[in-house]
Parts: sequence; C-alpha cells; structure tokens
Amino acid sequence: MIDSLYIAWKYISYNKIKTATLVACITLISFLPLSLQLLLVESERQLMSRAVSTPLVVGAKGSSLDLVMNTLYFDDEVPELITVDASNRVMETDLALPIPIYARFQARGNPIVGTTLDYFDFRGLKIAQGRQLAVLGDCVLGAKVAETLGLKPGDSLVSSPETLFDLAGVYPLKMKVVGVLEKSHTSDDLAVFVDLKTAWVIQGLGHGHEDVTKLRDPTLVLKRTEKNVAATAKLYHHTEITEENIDSFHFHGDLAQYPITAVIALPSDEKSGTILRGRYLSREETQQIVRPQDVIDGLLQNIFRIKNVLDAVISVVALATILAVLLVFALSLRLRQREIQTIFKLGCRRATIARLLTAEIFIIVIMSAVFCGAMIFLINQFSNDLVRMLFIR
Amino acid sequence: MAIIRSCLNQIPRIVSLFIAICIASAIANPGKGSAEEKLTIYVVNYPLKYFAERIAGEHATVVFSAPADVDPAYWMPDAKTISDYQRADLILLNGANYAKWVNKVSLPRFRMVNTSEAFKDRYIEAAEILTHSHGAQGKHAHEALAFTTWIDFSLAAEQAKAIAKALNRKKPSLEDIFQRNYQELEKDLLKLDRDMRALVSKDPSKPFVVSHPVYDYLARGYGLKIKSVHWEPDEVVDDRQLMELQNILKDDPAKWMIWEGEPIKESVEKLKAIGMQSVVFDPCGNTPDQGNFISMMQQNVENLKAAFH
Repeated sequence: MIDSLYIAWKYISYNKIKTATLVACITLISFLPLSLQLLLVESERQLMSRAVSTPLVVGAKGSSLDLVMNTLYFDDEVPELITVDASNRVMETDLALPIPIYARFQARGNPIVGTTLDYFDFRGLKIAQGRQLAVLGDCVLGAKVAETLGLKPGDSLVSSPETLFDLAGVYPLKMKVVGVLEKSHTSDDLAVFVDLKTAWVIQGLGHGHEDVTKLRDPTLVLKRTEKNVAATAKLYHHTEITEENIDSFHFHGDLAQYPITAVIALPSDEKSGTILRGRYLSREETQQIVRPQDVIDGLLQNIFRIKNVLDAVISVVALATILAVLLVFALSLRLRQREIQTIFKLGCRRATIARLLTAEIFIIVIMSAVFCGAMIFLINQFSNDLVRMLFIR
Repeated sequence: MAIIRSCLNQIPRIVSLFIAICIASAIANPGKGSAEEKLTIYVVNYPLKYFAERIAGEHATVVFSAPADVDPAYWMPDAKTISDYQRADLILLNGANYAKWVNKVSLPRFRMVNTSEAFKDRYIEAAEILTHSHGAQGKHAHEALAFTTWIDFSLAAEQAKAIAKALNRKKPSLEDIFQRNYQELEKDLLKLDRDMRALVSKDPSKPFVVSHPVYDYLARGYGLKIKSVHWEPDEVVDDRQLMELQNILKDDPAKWMIWEGEPIKESVEKLKAIGMQSVVFDPCGNTPDQGNFISMMQQNVENLKAAFH
C-alpha cells in the first residue's frame, strides 16, 4: 500500500496544476456549507444569548426588530424616539426596574450609547483600565473600540455630526475617555458608553455657555428686556466639558421629556413581567413592549429559511462539482491509457492499477480535507468577530 | 481493634466539643452578622442625613460629604466623592432641582431615591426668573424651582416617609424597626408643623422680608406673607440694598427681616434705624455647629415667636 501511495504521490506532484484544481474544488465545496453552518450557529448563539439575557424592551410603536436590534446591538437604524417618561412609567409600576438607552449618535463609526450606570451592572461589564463614568462629558469605551481607535484613559474622542450638511447644527462634543471595558465578546465591545445626560449634550439639549445675563459684548446680545435676554448666534457654546466650565452646563425644561430610544425593563419575576406586558396592550397605546427573545427567534427563523435556500443552491453546485471531478478523473484515465497499458505490460495486475488510482484519489481527498479543516479552524477562531462584522453589525 | 474502638468512643465527645466551640464563638460575636450588613446611605443635604439616621438607626451608615462651609445646593463633589456616591446602597436626593451637581454626574438610578417625588406636583416655581434665549430653542430659564422643601414640616414628614419606604425595600427584614423610627420622627416633625401653624395663626397678615429666596415652602406651608431680597448675613448691608428694601417696604410695610444665619451687628443696626427687627430662621441645609435638625427647627420657631408677640 505504501508503494502505491508513493507512486500516486509522485504522479500527483508531477501534475501540479491538475491536482491543485481538484483539491481547490473539493475543498471549496466542502468548506462552504460547513463554514456557513458554523457562522449561523455562532450568530444564533450570539443573538439569542443577548436576547435571552434582556427580559423586556419598551419603545415607540413600530418595527419591533429595529427596536431590539438598536437596543441590544446598537444597530444604525434608530427607532422612533420616546421620552424619559417611558422609563419613569416602568419604575412607577413597581413591577420592573428600567434602564433607559439612547443609542442614536456615533463617534468615528462607533455607536455612542447613552445610558445609566445600572446598565454596566446589568450586563456585568467591568472596567479594565481607568474608571467608571463620573461627570458630564466622560465616556467609557468598549474593548474593541479602544483597540481599533488606539485610545486609552486620558485621551479624547469627538462625537460625529448626524449629518454633514447640517452646518447650523450642534457642534460635536469632545468627550473625555475615562475608562475601557473588559472584553465581553458582545456588541458592548463595539460601543462608546456615555451618561444619558452627555448624550443630550451631544444632541444640543444640554449646553454650556457664558452667563447671558452678564454679557458685556453688545454683539452677543440681540435683545435685553427686564424678563429676558436674547443672545445672538455668536454666543459661544462650549464643545468640551472641563472642570472650569462644567458649572455653565445646564438643561432646559423637564428632563422627563428628554428623548431616549428604548427602555430595558428588568421585571422582578415572571409574573411581574407578564403584568407589565399587559399594561401596553391598549389600542391607544403609543409604546410597545417586546420580549427580545421572541423578536430574535422570528429573525432566526427567517435566517434559517434563507439558509435552507442556500443549502439547496450549494447542494446543486456540489453535485455539479462532484460530476466535474468525476469527469476529470475519467478523462484523466483516458489520457493515461498508454501509461496504464505500459504498467500492465510491465507485469502489474489490474488490481494494482486500481489501487494506484485509488491512492491518487485518496491523497487528493485527504489534502482537501486538511485545507478545509484548516480554513474551518480559522473561521471557528474568528467566528465571534466575523458574525458581528457580517450579520449583527 | 482496641485503638479503633477507643477512637469511636471519643466521637461523641469531639462532636460535643465542636458544638460548644460554635456556640461560644456565636456568643462572643453577637453583632458581627448585622454589622456586616449595614447599609451605606449617601445624601445631598443635612436634613436628609438626619432623617435617614433617625429612621435607619444603627442599621445604616449615613454619609453627607459636602464640606461644612458650603451650600450643598451649589456644591460640586470631586471625582473621588462621586465614586463614593456611586458605590452607596442608597442615594437620597432632595428633588426640586436641589444639588445641581446631581444633573452633572453619573449615578446609579436604581439606588437613587427622590424623597420629594410624592409631592412633585406641589413644587414651587421660583418667583424671580430671568429667561434667556439663544439658538433655535426659544426662551428658557435657569433655577426654575424653589428647593428648600423641608422647612414646610409636613413636606419634611413626606420626605422622611419616602426614606422609610426606600429603607424597607432595601431591608424588608428590618421593616418594623424602620417603621417605628419613622413614626417617632414623623411625630416630631408634625409637632413642629403644628407649632408653626399655631404661631402664624396669631397674625397671618403680618408681612416679613426674607434675606434670601429660600423661604417659599415655609411661606406657602404656613401662610406667611414674605418678600425676598438677596442679602448675605455675613456682609454689611449697603445703601443700594437698603434702597431696594425701602422700595419693598412701600408696598409691604414689614417690621421683621428673616435671616438664614446670624446677621452681623452693623446690618442689624442699619435695619433698626429704619424700624426693622431681625430674626434668624436657619434652613439648616448643611450640618449645624450644634444641635440637630429638630432642635434647630425648634429654635427657629422659638425665634419667630418674637415677631408674633
């Protein structure tokens, strides 16, 4: 057998191009469905684990998928906004604890997530470097963001304007990086976390400027009456929050009316969760409450439906490839007819010739299996990041 | 065999000795378990510290971090202090926009309790607001709410009730103790409330001028007629301020000025010269040099008696 394998190997190494083509065909046709399966299993694991660990999400009525994807994975698609009142409403029921989320803005391509400190406890996120959010303007980076942008505590990060063409819009805010989170292998690694109030400053709802009642420059004052001072657009708004100017930052009006994208509701038990869900069933209700697990389940069913179609396509392609490979072998046998005759005339039995050809096929299949295994191993190593890059974000 | 039998005979003695050691160690450290479970409560002003201490008793450590010489309403804690607040089991807020720093820092919402939430519909909008406008947001104003809620003692009792409720939630096993302590505190606060009502009822139309705009809840709660100036007790009143006062007195001929702290002698004399007496009603936002919240408020009521004599 060793002799047959040796002769087969010599033949294969002589016909390099033919062998490489055959190995590539078999490798690809086995790698495609296996890798797809691997990535789908990983995406299901990632999507479901985060969805299962998030009991309920409250948001504006509309696409529940957009709401869940934005709240759990900080997707770019921003659902219709609700107000902090929605969070207070959950709190007042005494059935669940609310965590408001405002995932609307971005900083250098990474989502800025405005929330409260409770979010970190809820997700079990720990600070790896630096400290937790403390004052307005602080931000804490997900592990991947810090790695990609090369940022560490003490550096700064500027928020991106929502649209480049909004020239009269809000100035970007220069945030202070105060901490970097430990790697969690979830979407939290790819986010920039700020306090809810800092997110409102980014939006321009909270701002810091000189005391308008003490303005000396007449070009800054449009109109001054006993009850009101109207400042001109020239009035400088701080674009960075520092120890010196933090006192000048303020919010106008009732903070309960300020915007958020969603509320994560953490019911004390199953019964409380069910009762809470019942409170959002009225026809006039402007908000919806969803179980992320149900929404992601629906999404996965669609993904698996698409996967079935893909599997069928791959099966047809695989069949065609196998037929092509068989054809290559058959043609190759015909081309090697004289060579086979010579071996036969040299005294080899037909069984020996069959063994030689089987050894050739065996070596090609083994080589393909090795390549395929190596590629699957690589995919498996990076499946976590690949899934988030390809499917989730 | 004999050795094994002798060892087996010793087992009951060893077990008895072990049980005795356990009982002895439990007797030697009776309070260890409860001390370890002590709650850490951070507050934003002295009245809340006093209420929390009265209600929680030995079951909590109540921390009020503002230095003694600052007004806690306008104080800004440093990063280390903010981090201490973040680690607390409970953070008691006064509400009504008191302690402006709360809106500028990150605190865990689940552990924050707005003690005036129950009467937020009864917050008082500050009388003098200068609005301003810039950008597309239209007119807006700063400092819209009066925040010295606790000097209406019935509201102070409601704040104490909110603290008791929060403590009950944190430690349901101690509910009876918290409830009993709260009822005692409520009794003291409601007695102050009755005393104030009885005092003001002697002459409800008597006008007062107050040295600082912090008495809105006192005025509304007890029907006091007040006009406000913005004077500091440790600064001598100047002519401009006196003129401003004279203008007020034209419409409201008050004979008494209520100060938030002991005024300096020169100011008292200047007021006397225009026929006005001085009386101190300390809102006690920060820790008093001596006494406690109740004794300070009793003193305030006592001080006011001179005006209603």
